Amino acid sequence: MPLDRDIRHRIVRELRGVIDPELGVNIIDLGLVYNIFCRDNKVVVEFTATTPGCPMRRFLQQQVEQTLDSIDEIDHFEARLVWEPSWSIDMISDDVEFFAQPPPQLQSN
Amino acid sequence: MTNRNVSTYLLVGLLFFAAIGLLTGLYAGLVRLGLTIDLIHSISPLAHGPLMVNGFLGTLISLERAAALEKKWAYLAPGFMALSTVLLLSGILGIGKILLLAGSLFLLIIMIYLYRLHPRAYHLIMIMGAGSLFVGNSLYLFNVPIYTLVSWWIGFPLLTIFGERLELNRIMRPPQKAIWLFVTLIFLWILGITATHIQRNISWQIASVLLIMLALWLFKYDVARRTIKAAQWTRYSALCLLTGYGWLVLAGLFGIWKGFPRAGLFYDAQLHMIFVGFVFSMIFAHASVIIPSLSGKSIPYHKYFYLPLILLHLFLLIRVAGDIAIAATVRQIGGYGNVLAILLFLGGVPYHLFKISSQKRKKKGSQLQNIA
Repeated sequence: MPLDRDIRHRIVRELRGVIDPELGVNIIDLGLVYNIFCRDNKVVVEFTATTPGCPMRRFLQQQVEQTLDSIDEIDHFEARLVWEPSWSIDMISDDVEFFAQPPPQLQSN
Repeated sequence: MTNRNVSTYLLVGLLFFAAIGLLTGLYAGLVRLGLTIDLIHSISPLAHGPLMVNGFLGTLISLERAAALEKKWAYLAPGFMALSTVLLLSGILGIGKILLLAGSLFLLIIMIYLYRLHPRAYHLIMIMGAGSLFVGNSLYLFNVPIYTLVSWWIGFPLLTIFGERLELNRIMRPPQKAIWLFVTLIFLWILGITATHIQRNISWQIASVLLIMLALWLFKYDVARRTIKAAQWTRYSALCLLTGYGWLVLAGLFGIWKGFPRAGLFYDAQLHMIFVGFVFSMIFAHASVIIPSLSGKSIPYHKYFYLPLILLHLFLLIRVAGDIAIAATVRQIGGYGNVLAILLFLGGVPYHLFKISSQKRKKKGSQLQNIA
């Protein structure tokens, strides 16, 4: 079942609120979210970490789960950590304003 | 909804043992500085180093890696470290030392496993960090004096952190030549500390030159140069990193000046410039990542956390000044101040977590009242 476009946009928008605390950049712009789709009435977000030994791994899992849980339109979800393909710096968004200024999420606090 | 197969309770339990290692290690440090309190079970001042390096850093770093790997066997590393802390504190040194070695062996296996999954230079450097702890603990098991083996204990956090920084700093796209330079400097530094067993002072002085070069490399290529312009934890973390690299430069200069003493105030200054100035700055820098990863609770940012950071650096400067001037009281003030700074940081974490959760409860309560 294809995922409703509005919900997909909403998920992406909310996931921009998940910020790598050390880099101050959100996980969408870092290219850590690989896929967002719907399967068996469940929204699945496939994401990765920068390396298999990344200490942020559990933190990211928690943050993605909390974000999905906070979206009213989603009843069932899964935050799935994947390792293929391996993350690389080429996956960072080209147009991200990298460290140019504090990201909006931080400014608003 | 989660694929986590290890309970947060286990992580928090092991984190508790790391905290025990830290607190008892700090207490042993105070005893070393001359503090005397009548306790039923006193801790030997000689336990300061083993508790801080193994009980605290060994348990924490291996726990962090095991949690990242999500393999049950990997928890044997922090498990053995935690158990050995208890045994060392109970005075059961023989078995305690064997378990320390077992813990560092499992940490080494974790790092090799990570390298096999992802064979990159930064994982290789982390293998050398765990290997350094393993060598240090092997020597400790055979009762080699701590002043002889301490360079291997220094190598453990230093190389682990260097590996982590190289991994993260991919984002700065350092040229391939620069990466090779960093790895070569690390290899040479390890050769340098190995050679301290043959020619202690000259080898340490050479290793100190290499340490300065490594710190300068980090100043040039670390992402902290950019993230210092950000805000909140990101900015705080960057400041911790950059000041930590500053301490590495000072430690290197001190090593060139004084060589590698076997005891006394210069020995004290050299070790604490690295372990407090560099390593604790790195711990402060990564707390906003490590604690949520292990406990499941995000630490709310507050300007308060700058207080322990400033105190840490200030009192370390005082301590080192006391060491150089051979002024025992000044050194003592600096040492006590360092313990205070670490405790203020440590205490700030649960305080701010509690403050936020009570604010949330109040907010929820008033919302319910409004509805009613």
